[in-house]
Amino acid sequence: MSFKSLLKIAIRAIKANKSRSLLTSLGVIIGVASVILLVSVGSGLKDYITSEMQDMGSNLVMVMPGEIDLDKLGAGSSAMSSSFAAMSTSKLKLEDLNALKQQVPYIEEVVGLVMGSAPIRYQNESKIAQVLGTTADYTEVRKGEFESGGFFTEADVNSGRKVAVIGYKIADEIFGSPYVVGEKFKLGEYRYTVIGVMAEAGGQGSMSPDDKIYIPITVAQRQFNQDHLGIIFAQAKSSDDVAPTVSMTQEVMERRLDKEDFTVLDQKEILSTVSGILNTLTIALGGIAAISLLVGGIGIMNIMLVSVTERTQEIGLRKALGAKPEVILTQFLLEATILSVGGGLIGILVGAGGSLLIGIFMPTTVAWWSIVLAFVVSAGVGIIFGVTPAKKASELSPIEALRHE
Amino acid sequence: MKKNSSLLTVSGVSKIYQMDEVAVKALDNISLTIKRGEFVSIVGPSGSGKSTLMHLIGCLDIPTSGKIILDGEDISELEERELSDVRNHKIGFVFQAFNLLPRTSALENVTMPLLYNSTSEEHAIEKAKAALEMVGLGERMYHHPNQLSGGQQQRVAIARALITDAPILLGDEPTGNLDSKSGTEIMKIFRNLHQHGKTIILVTHDDELANQADRKIMIKDGKIIN
Repeated sequence: MSFKSLLKIAIRAIKANKSRSLLTSLGVIIGVASVILLVSVGSGLKDYITSEMQDMGSNLVMVMPGEIDLDKLGAGSSAMSSSFAAMSTSKLKLEDLNALKQQVPYIEEVVGLVMGSAPIRYQNESKIAQVLGTTADYTEVRKGEFESGGFFTEADVNSGRKVAVIGYKIADEIFGSPYVVGEKFKLGEYRYTVIGVMAEAGGQGSMSPDDKIYIPITVAQRQFNQDHLGIIFAQAKSSDDVAPTVSMTQEVMERRLDKEDFTVLDQKEILSTVSGILNTLTIALGGIAAISLLVGGIGIMNIMLVSVTERTQEIGLRKALGAKPEVILTQFLLEATILSVGGGLIGILVGAGGSLLIGIFMPTTVAWWSIVLAFVVSAGVGIIFGVTPAKKASELSPIEALRHE
Repeated sequence: MKKNSSLLTVSGVSKIYQMDEVAVKALDNISLTIKRGEFVSIVGPSGSGKSTLMHLIGCLDIPTSGKIILDGEDISELEERELSDVRNHKIGFVFQAFNLLPRTSALENVTMPLLYNSTSEEHAIEKAKAALEMVGLGERMYHHPNQLSGGQQQRVAIARALITDAPILLGDEPTGNLDSKSGTEIMKIFRNLHQHGKTIILVTHDDELANQADRKIMIKDGKIIN
C-alpha cells in the first residue's frame, strides 16, 4: 500500500474524531509550548544581562569588596548575597582608586562608585531612588548619552558641589520632562541642582540606568555618611591589556588591603559565570516543561490503545482483505505520529506567540534550538508511544478481530 | 485455466483449539475438493465446525494437521504475512455484517483490497467503478454505507470481493442480516456470477439457501456427513 494511501487513512481516522484528536494532542501542545516559552524566558534573560554587561563599557576590570568565588557563585546564591553584604562593609577607598590610576599603566580610566538609595522629592512628587556617587570620568568608562545637559566635572567632584545627573525615567516620572537642567530637588536631607539628564537606555528593573541618580562621589560619601567605595571600575586600554590589568590591579590592591577584603574580576569572567548560571536555569526550566511533553505522549498512547480496541473490526476486515501486519502497524503509527507532530506544530505556534506576548513585560528570546528540540521530541514521543498500540493492532488475529462486536 | 480442474483440495485436515486445559476438536480429519466454476454450499448447525472450515478455506487460519492446496499452492503452513497475500489474491470475502468501513464512500470501500497489493490508485478506482456498475450501484458510488440499504451495502461488499479477480468468492451467511427480498437479490447476483464462471463457496446454516448451490457439503461435529 502506498504511503499516500496510508496517510489518507490516518488523516481520515483523526478527522472522524476531531474533538478527541484535539484533546489528545493537547498534552503535546502544552508540552511543546511550555518548553519553547520557558526556554525563551531563560535565554531572553541571558541575552538581556549579556547586553547590559556590554553596555557597561568594554575592557572593564572590576574591584569588588570582599572575597567572591565565581566558581561558588554557580552553586548557590549565598556567595552572591555575601558579596552584596560586603559592599556595606567595604574597605575600598578613594585612595585606592588613585593608587591604581598611578601604578597600573594599562589602565585608561578608573572610577569608583558609592551606592545608596534615598528619597527624592520635587514639588509634590517623590520616590525612593538609587543613587550612584562617582567621579567625573564615569561616562568615559560606562557608556552614556545625554538627553539634556551633561555630566559633572572634576571640579564639581573636588569642590563637593551638590549637582546631580538623573536617569531618563526619573526625569519623566518626577519632573515630567527630560529638559529640567537647573531645576532643584531634595535628595534625603540635601538640595541638589539638576545638571544633566541621561538619554533613555531601556531595560527593566534595578539594572536600568534610567532609574538612577548620579552625584559627585565626594557628595555621596557625605550623603550616605560613608568613606568607602562600593566598587571600582577600571577600563583597560585595549582588550589585550585586560589580563595584565587584572594581575597588576591584584598586586597593587594586595599591597594596600588584605586578600579577603577585595576581589578583582574582569567583565568576561563575570559574563561567562552569569551566562553559565542562566544556561543551567534555562535547561532546568526546559527540562521541567519536557516532563509535560512526556505526559502528552502517554496521553497519545492511551487514546491510541482505546482507538485500536474500538476499531478491532476494521483491523480484522483490513487484514482479511490482505493488509499485512506491517501495513496495519504503519497505519496506526502514522496516526499517532500525526497527532503528536500536529500537536508539536500547534505547540510551536502557541509557544512562540506566547513568548512574543510575554516579551511585552520581560525580555524573551525564542531559541531556534528549542523549536527544533521540541519538534523532534514531540515527533519522537508520537512514534515511541505509538508503537505499543500499533503493534497491538498489527498482531490481532483476523478471525478474532472480525468476530469482535 | 480449464474448467473442472480442482481449485481447492482439503485433505485430512483437523483443527484443534486449545481452550485452557481442554482441547476442542473443531474439525476432525476432513477431506474435500472444489472444482473451478463450482457453486458449493457448506451447511451445518452452529458449533458444527463450518465456521472453522470457512476460516481455513479463507486463509484466515491454518490447520493443526492435514493439507490445503489452493489454486496449486500449499497454504497449510504459511505465516500470517504470506497468508494475507493469498487472501488478497485468491479470496473474495462477503460477510454477514457487510463489514464496510463507516464514513467511507462505496467507491473507496471497494478499492481497498487493490490498495493492499500495490495497484495504482487511479487503476483501482477505475476497476472499482466497473465493479459497482456490475452490481447495479453505478449511481451510488459516492454514498457512504449509512446512506445505503442493507441490500445495497451487501452489493458494495460483493463488488469489493470481485475487484481483485480472486478465483474464489467466499460468502459467510451473506443474506443473514437481510430481509428476504434483499436476500433473494443477493442470491441472484451469486447465481449470475456462477453462470459467468466464478467459483462460489457459500457458508450457511440455512438449508433452503444451501439448496440453491450445485453441491451441498454438510458438516456436523467437525465431520462431513454427506
